Amino acid sequence: MLELKNVHKSFGRNEVLKGVDISVEKGDVVVILGPSGSGKTTLLRSINFLEKADKGTIVFGDIEAKLENASKHDIRAIRKKSAFVFQNYNLFHNRTALQNVTEGLIVARKVPKAEAVEKARKALDKVGLSDRYDYYPSQLSGGQQQRVGIARAIAVNPDVILFDEPTSALDPELIGEVLNVMKELAKEGTTMIVVTHEMTFAQEVANKVIFMDGGVVVEEGPPGEIFTRPKEERTKQFLRRIINDFDYVI
Amino acid sequence: MTLNTEFMLETFFIALKGIPVTLSLAAISLLLASPAAFFMAIARINRIKGLQKAVTVYVSFVRGTPMILQILVIYSLLPSLLNQLFMNLNLKINVFDVNPILYAYIVFTLNTAAALSEVFRSALQTVSIGQLEAAQSIGLSTYKAYTRIVIPQALVVALPNLGNVTVNLIKGTSLAFMMTVKDITALAKIEASYGYNYIEAYIVIFFIYIILCSGVQLAFRLLEKYLGGYRKPAAG
Ligand SMILES: Nc1ncnc2c1ncn2[C@@H]1O[C@H](COP(=O)(O)OP(=O)(O)OP(=O)(O)O)[C@@H](O)[C@H]1O
Ligand SMILES: [Mg+2]
Repeated sequence: MLELKNVHKSFGRNEVLKGVDISVEKGDVVVILGPSGSGKTTLLRSINFLEKADKGTIVFGDIEAKLENASKHDIRAIRKKSAFVFQNYNLFHNRTALQNVTEGLIVARKVPKAEAVEKARKALDKVGLSDRYDYYPSQLSGGQQQRVGIARAIAVNPDVILFDEPTSALDPELIGEVLNVMKELAKEGTTMIVVTHEMTFAQEVANKVIFMDGGVVVEEGPPGEIFTRPKEERTKQFLRRIINDFDYVI
Repeated sequence: MTLNTEFMLETFFIALKGIPVTLSLAAISLLLASPAAFFMAIARINRIKGLQKAVTVYVSFVRGTPMILQILVIYSLLPSLLNQLFMNLNLKINVFDVNPILYAYIVFTLNTAAALSEVFRSALQTVSIGQLEAAQSIGLSTYKAYTRIVIPQALVVALPNLGNVTVNLIKGTSLAFMMTVKDITALAKIEASYGYNYIEAYIVIFFIYIILCSGVQLAFRLLEKYLGGYRKPAAG
């Protein structure tokens, strides 16, 4: 359903993506792991053209485009098929929770207002915010803001939702509420690509784990394999470090 | 020395008649300067080659020279340039028929645009790029993302500085008398010149300006409160 081929991206002389291939099927929950600076965010942002890759191909449903010179039309079409959940939520501060969700429906997708409000309420109910429709982001906790961010993403009914470390800006006690919402979505068959350091989530929810390092995909497979018998030395080292960090935290 | 209070009262009402001129000088300059300033701010934020440099030079030039000098230059230079232009174009327009308020608009617009471009630039930069990206990621065009998300927030942030620029502009328009524009200051000066009551006249317009500027400041504060309601965390 979604395929990226040979993605390259440099920032100045810093080559961040060195020919990455990934493919995602409908209903997949793909978790991307990797050390800081390995290019995870850049890869995710390239998918919906928040970052313009230097080279590569995207095949998304019936659209096929070159990442480096996709037409405006293709970019908009791909953005309509996908949604992004940001590390820092990036809610519209001048909009209430409900308006954050209706914005994309009304303005980008031309959904009639009443219908948009209906959809937005449903999306907010789903993430457990039925009592916060009219709150502004400044009046919500981090976890609530991120759940609005997720509602904003699911409301447009995308083919895939891209999550970039959705819980890493949150206080530990708020992480659970966001992960639970994501688990729910996965159960319903939502296609998701998730960059995260939450190993438990990766183990329990993902059906595919991709380990990136130094701008390439080092290893990929089902979580059972990656976590219990990683083939590559770099994967082993990374996992050892992460698991150790976990021990320290606990 | 005693103040001629009867004269002061009379002058007060005469100078009040200058308020529409003063305010329209300020309002029209603001109106003309705002779009120009907005594009200058965008040019600087997005580092548009060439333009960025030109804007920087323009702003430092305008802000680095006294307004009184700009008035003298424009008021004495522009008419002769226009005259030349009219002659070259074979137009039978006498430059001395051109309403001097036009020169005043030019000076104040140039100044206000420079000041506003800085205000807009810093205000636009307070709205995180992430919100722009979020808007784009749900399918809004860049134009819609700016007009619906970025600019409304930047405006609220800009309001206090916008208020300052407006107040400075109103005060600045008191120099319009040099271009024979009949604003508050000019009317008071004319009145004072008959009987040499300058002190009284100046004291009178002193208060008119204070009231005017305080009113404008209050209006901007109320507007900020009204438009910026989304920023304050509410309990429960
Ligand atoms: N806009 C940019 N300009 C210049 N360099 C950038 C930019 N964005 C990212 N980089 C660089 O690209 C590299 C990869 O960044 P990226 O954010 O994709 O890593 P990441 O895997 O998401 O890391 P993290 O786990 O810390 O989020 C880093 O070296 C970073 O400094
Ligand atoms: Mg990242």
